[in-house]
Amino acid sequence: MRLAAPATDAGLSKYDPLGRILCFDRFDSTTHGWTELIGNYDGKGDLGTVDEHMRDFRPPQLSSCSFFDVGTHGTLSGNYALKLATRAHRGHTATGIRRLTMAGRGRVRIETYFAFKAEATVGHELPASVAWDGNRHPSESQFGAFTVATDICADNGVRYHNVIRYQNTNLAGEMTQRFMYPVVPEPTPRDHQEGKFALPYAADFTAPDPDDWRYLGEPLELCVNEVPTKINWHYLRWDIDTATRSNVELRLNDRIIDLSDVPVPIYPDRYSTLDNLLNFYFSVRTHAGIRNFLFLDSVLISVDW
Amino acid sequence: MRSTMTAVLERAALVHDELATEPYELPWAQEARFFVQVHELTGRLELRTEISPDGLTWCPADEPPVRVTEPGMTSWLVTGFGQWLRVRCFVSGAGAPAARLRIYVVGKS
Repeated sequence: MRLAAPATDAGLSKYDPLGRILCFDRFDSTTHGWTELIGNYDGKGDLGTVDEHMRDFRPPQLSSCSFFDVGTHGTLSGNYALKLATRAHRGHTATGIRRLTMAGRGRVRIETYFAFKAEATVGHELPASVAWDGNRHPSESQFGAFTVATDICADNGVRYHNVIRYQNTNLAGEMTQRFMYPVVPEPTPRDHQEGKFALPYAADFTAPDPDDWRYLGEPLELCVNEVPTKINWHYLRWDIDTATRSNVELRLNDRIIDLSDVPVPIYPDRYSTLDNLLNFYFSVRTHAGIRNFLFLDSVLISVDW
Repeated sequence: MRSTMTAVLERAALVHDELATEPYELPWAQEARFFVQVHELTGRLELRTEISPDGLTWCPADEPPVRVTEPGMTSWLVTGFGQWLRVRCFVSGAGAPAARLRIYVVGKS
């Protein structure tokens, strides 16, 4: 594998791209195509026809990572991160989606440096399964989950999603700290139109039934650094293969997880108008009545075709 | 080249009494402009700009409240703010006052 850029480039040297870089998004300049996801709507632009669970995924923000106690924290590489922020509503999800198409088939890699936090509670306290003991902090258990996922369609309308989620707590707020994946494809607006489901606000849009998720590997503790206003950047690298429609490998800092046995469910029916679709999204979901944040320092997407 | 960014803070929010939009962080922006599209209105609507240094604690911005009595688009400029912006919407009047709102904020460097 050849490196796509010399290691002397301070921006790129912290990444490990495949041979062809499709995008390298540094959030010191705009949101670089990472935008809010919204469900589909009718020909009149009536947003009331958007599925209830897909109408409010919140717009990404460019954040200086500023907090009530220290002021501006800043990012790994500069001033601004892309911030996804949920509402303070149990089950609510915020997304940032990047829409590409494929000029080939093969290995695809997405890399990022990210940080995750529950919003600080100042002057009040929320129920939490972790008590403050001077080291551990309730906010640790007030963060739900973050997800990195795709929406891919090609080869005569075969549509599928590679999905990986880090679940910090379950919906009861108990610490789980495990990666997981869904065994069903994401419900689509067409499924809804055809009467296959109707999901309520704040349903898990990726796979609404908790029983449709499987844990992957052993619990993995990430760096939360004790309080909700200290952020530490984690490296994530995820490889998939669009030639074989499979997962390949996940890297989280120094941990490498083989994903070759993680299935990629496809839709039973074909989808049109999506030829060569290659979408990526990050999302963050709160499992408590508090805002959850996912900060992305930068994102790099590369391929081997 | 300057930067600009539009966020849709609410798409079809139904306000019966009061609504504060989610905290929106615009640390890079020199100016911001709110657009409030009033789809339906029964009663009177008052829109107040609020600012915050941390997204947690809020105070009124320097701009005076905007008052609306008819459906349609209204807009106002905000400058010299701290990192976070939101708009607080109040609906009042006789009967069952209510408003259906789409709210945008546009930031520019």
